[in-house]
Amino acid sequence: MSTRTLKQLLVHTYLTLFTLPIIAMIVWYFLAATLNFTTGQFSFENFSFFREPVEYAGVELPLIWPIVLNTLVYSFLIVFLEVFISVPTAYAFSRLDFKGKNAAMKFLFLMRSFPGITLIIATFFILVQMHLVNTYLGVLLVAVTGSLPGRVYIMKGFFDEVPWDIEWAAMVDGCTRYGAFKKVLVPFVLPGIGAISVFSFLGAYGEWFLFKLLIFNDDMLTLAGYLARLVTKEDQILNYGLITAIGLFYTLPIIVFYIFTQKVFMKVNLGGAKQV
Amino acid sequence: MDHLTDRPAAVGPAYRKPFKKKIYPYLFIMPFAALVLVFFVLPALATVAMSFTDLNASMKPKFVGLENFKRVFADYNLPDILRNTAIFAVLSLAISLLFALVISVATQYFLKGKIAAVVYRVLWLIPSIIPAVVYVTFWKYLFDPTEGGLVNRILLQFGLESDPVSWFSKAAMAIVILATVVSTISGGMILLSAAINSIPEDLYKAAKVDGASEKSVILKIIMPTLKWPLMYITISELIGFVSSYFFIMLLTNGGPMRDTTTLSLYAYQQAFNLKYYGYGAAVSLIVVAISFVLTLLFLRLFDFDEMIKPSRIED
Repeated sequence: MSTRTLKQLLVHTYLTLFTLPIIAMIVWYFLAATLNFTTGQFSFENFSFFREPVEYAGVELPLIWPIVLNTLVYSFLIVFLEVFISVPTAYAFSRLDFKGKNAAMKFLFLMRSFPGITLIIATFFILVQMHLVNTYLGVLLVAVTGSLPGRVYIMKGFFDEVPWDIEWAAMVDGCTRYGAFKKVLVPFVLPGIGAISVFSFLGAYGEWFLFKLLIFNDDMLTLAGYLARLVTKEDQILNYGLITAIGLFYTLPIIVFYIFTQKVFMKVNLGGAKQV
Repeated sequence: MDHLTDRPAAVGPAYRKPFKKKIYPYLFIMPFAALVLVFFVLPALATVAMSFTDLNASMKPKFVGLENFKRVFADYNLPDILRNTAIFAVLSLAISLLFALVISVATQYFLKGKIAAVVYRVLWLIPSIIPAVVYVTFWKYLFDPTEGGLVNRILLQFGLESDPVSWFSKAAMAIVILATVVSTISGGMILLSAAINSIPEDLYKAAKVDGASEKSVILKIIMPTLKWPLMYITISELIGFVSSYFFIMLLTNGGPMRDTTTLSLYAYQQAFNLKYYGYGAAVSLIVVAISFVLTLLFLRLFDFDEMIKPSRIED
């Protein structure tokens, strides 16, 4: 028994050591945002960005509330688009037979592991040609295309799990194929739709790169792009208080969101976890 | 109704699908196919086309043949950049795999079912949940070159250094790798934990009864289960490290000098900072080639046709 306790103690010691930096990180975010390190006093002066536009190292950025609205609109649009495109596609890949399906499926897998980021230079030019630079539509289309293969893969897994008999039964009872898809199958894969919605939302909420590259108007940024502008302005951050304060305002909702949705992370087979 | 007539028809060769049914599946995949065509296939072709031109800020592309590729291989930055890419990818992969393995074995085997295990796992997930732009501020603060930075403050406090150390110019690559690893560990950890979790409890008990040591439980029971997830994580993270540069861009932007510039970041800088779009495309084509080889390797490892379940009914 005593060797067992000793072993447990050892495991706890190591894990605590590994985890300490992360705890330190979390504590620091709160301290840096609220504590003035030179005077040692707590204050909320860093949170004045709620009331007035931010000015930092020569950059003037607009008031934060329209940016918050942009973030929400952008994130929900991404979720909407990804769900409405990936669910029918996954259904077709899982249930329907069509010419070129095998090739399409191979392509999907290839694309899922292929880094789309390497094509960004050419993508930029295509957007220039289509006059989609500096528009939300351009960012949306590029972002959605990049993450779709992963979403389709997850959704296909969920469709594969639903027994055929259920669909058969619906059709015997007089449903059309589409009716069976809409009324019977979709309710069965709702957990999957929930999962990809969460992934899409988290991805969209954190997206800063495409905004840095494709959006030039400061008032069109989302929170991630807004912070990216501040963080990459100088080599060295001059005012940690301001940046962590905005960072906290930006991160806390997503942590709360994550706590409520974290179960889906464990449910989803992200691929390769089991030998198929 | 029609499926009833379909069934015998599927056996006999006489049945031919009406046009409406043939077109039906394509309606489902059309939005997806259109997007992929315009924003994946087209850029892929355009990258190849651009790499043979001298497209730059003047926007008057001229065909230059293999000139760009000759330039890439004659580029005096190339050896350094390739070395950076290799160091970054291999070290990040090795460290994050090791930690993912240790943490998932510790939480799913040694502390299985304990609250502490959940707490550790959730804490480790936090770096990957925090948006990248916020996450990097912590690392910037930790290694801030002035005396305000945490590491410098501690060193000065204990008198280990007399002047603040400028970490980002001395150990930029180490910082970049550290920050990348801490946020990628959780991805591997989730997959490995799920795999360990699927091992039936009886196996451990049987091993205990037979007097197996912890070492042999880990080596003979747990490790074989992890073969597939480990291979998956290795290849997918390797592709990610070779091709993506988000953290590097936020943390050091490739500097100081070119100390943390990897090949894919170099392509980006050539195209968007210096406006040598053609040259940038040629460099990124090399990244594409490397990723492509890794991707094919990846598909080889996972028997492809096994992964695609055939659909079992004719419609």
